[in-house]
Amino acid sequence: MTKLREIAYSRSGDKGDISNVCVFPYDDADYDRLRAALTVDVVREKYGALVTGDIVRYELPGTCGLNFVMYGALDGGVSISLRADPHGKSMQNLILDIDV
Amino acid sequence: MSQSIAIGCGSAYATDRLDWAVELADSGLVDFMCFDRLAERTLALAQIRRLNDETTGQDPFLPEITEAFAPFLARGGTMIGNFGAANPAAAADDVAAGLRKAGLEGIRIGVVYGDDVLDHVLDQDLELDELGTSARAIRDKIVSANAYIGAEPIVDLLEEGARFVLGGRIADPSLFVAPICWKLGWALDDWDRVARATVVAHLLECGTHSTGGNYTDPPYRELDLTRLGFPMAVVDEREAVITKLDGTGGAVDIGTQRTQLAYEVHDPAAYLTPDISADFSQVTLEQVGPDRVRVSGATGNPRPDTLKVLVGVDLGFKVISESSFGGPGCIERARSAADLVRVRLESLAAGIDDLRTDLIGVDSLFGDRMSGGEPVEVRLRIAARTHDKVTADAVAAEADHLWMGPNGAGGIFTRTVPAIGVTPAFLPRDDVKLRTEVIEA
Repeated sequence: MTKLREIAYSRSGDKGDISNVCVFPYDDADYDRLRAALTVDVVREKYGALVTGDIVRYELPGTCGLNFVMYGALDGGVSISLRADPHGKSMQNLILDIDV
Repeated sequence: MSQSIAIGCGSAYATDRLDWAVELADSGLVDFMCFDRLAERTLALAQIRRLNDETTGQDPFLPEITEAFAPFLARGGTMIGNFGAANPAAAADDVAAGLRKAGLEGIRIGVVYGDDVLDHVLDQDLELDELGTSARAIRDKIVSANAYIGAEPIVDLLEEGARFVLGGRIADPSLFVAPICWKLGWALDDWDRVARATVVAHLLECGTHSTGGNYTDPPYRELDLTRLGFPMAVVDEREAVITKLDGTGGAVDIGTQRTQLAYEVHDPAAYLTPDISADFSQVTLEQVGPDRVRVSGATGNPRPDTLKVLVGVDLGFKVISESSFGGPGCIERARSAADLVRVRLESLAAGIDDLRTDLIGVDSLFGDRMSGGEPVEVRLRIAARTHDKVTADAVAAEADHLWMGPNGAGGIFTRTVPAIGVTPAFLPRDDVKLRTEVIEA
């Protein structure tokens, strides 16, 4: 099995209680593989109870990117959250642990 | 005659470092420097400072910023930033005093007022969806409400000859969109051109986050982070190229620009700002030289009818405590310490809104979601939100008493801070009455 981290990189950002986690392949030839592997169901399974709301997947075909928008993902958002990482800056590293 | 603009980013948050940005400003390569100084909660905290002392609430770093960038202004450069935070008038006074001190009398300072919509929000009784309540229901807890300001008033001020433009909650991309459109003569309702300006703005607005910050992950991708270059762009009618100062660390390459492109964007086909609904989904990036990336393909649709407002809410206090446990059995001892504190806090439950305990090194970031192994040490983190200071102090005391908890609790550290929530709401654009003023230093 290959971890996503071996073929892709990621960044997460926050707006209120919403975390966005984007993923781009190192090699654009892997874009279709990412699209097939990173379904909303797979990502939801990985994040589990960390995300209490919907997860929506958007595509950026111009740059071979996928963007996962996770609602209710930051325990209320940076100023309310009691989590160790209230911005969810580390959310990007969990998606890279998915087997593809 | 074709025009172009060379524009740099000077900061991406309130405490961003100045020296690397000054290096870019003093390079002679850019005519405009734009500064984002506010994060979601920065403005609410600034409003609280102003409530305690009405002469404060502006960017506290303005004196040193004005001094540091005086040579850039003296050379004819223009600065734009949301330095006003909760008090644009006080910020303008700071800038005027700083410019005079630097011998730069006569420079025109443009100020945008009107993003503070607290009174209106309370009158109109806005829905606060993320909190599941309304402004009226928690009226006495609301400490601030600021609408995001777009490019329009900034363009007006540049047109009036302002060389230092500041305001309160100017939207991050709008800081850059205004000078790009003004310099290139692009109308603010020319949606495809505003979209081109917006994608450049989005790639610049996060400063060194766009040139390699938060990117390195050895061994897969490694960059020199010891002296990151702030990003800049050269934009004309034909193309837009993102770059940075030669000899600085980090990188402007496909990887850093892609991650920045999607950063804090939700639907890439509808990136909403006060200026536009921009479509980034078909954007392409092309490496056209060392640390030079050409960006193209952004298109635009009309701007939203509503403006986003961030409402600050006083939610009491946050208590955070940490303590370390090491060696064999460390996880079990840390868990028993967490259980001990939970039992001890049962009598305070009425004053505690939220409580969590995490083991840093085991489950504090992802729960049990990440594959991993056993650590040789863990740090217990106890976090609580309380609605009064008495409860907060009692929680802090219980966490501190772990000195007499399970064997070997080391480095106990506890702090209590105000919990200011910020939550989004939306107002019709016409409800936000902006006004501009030009003063001379």
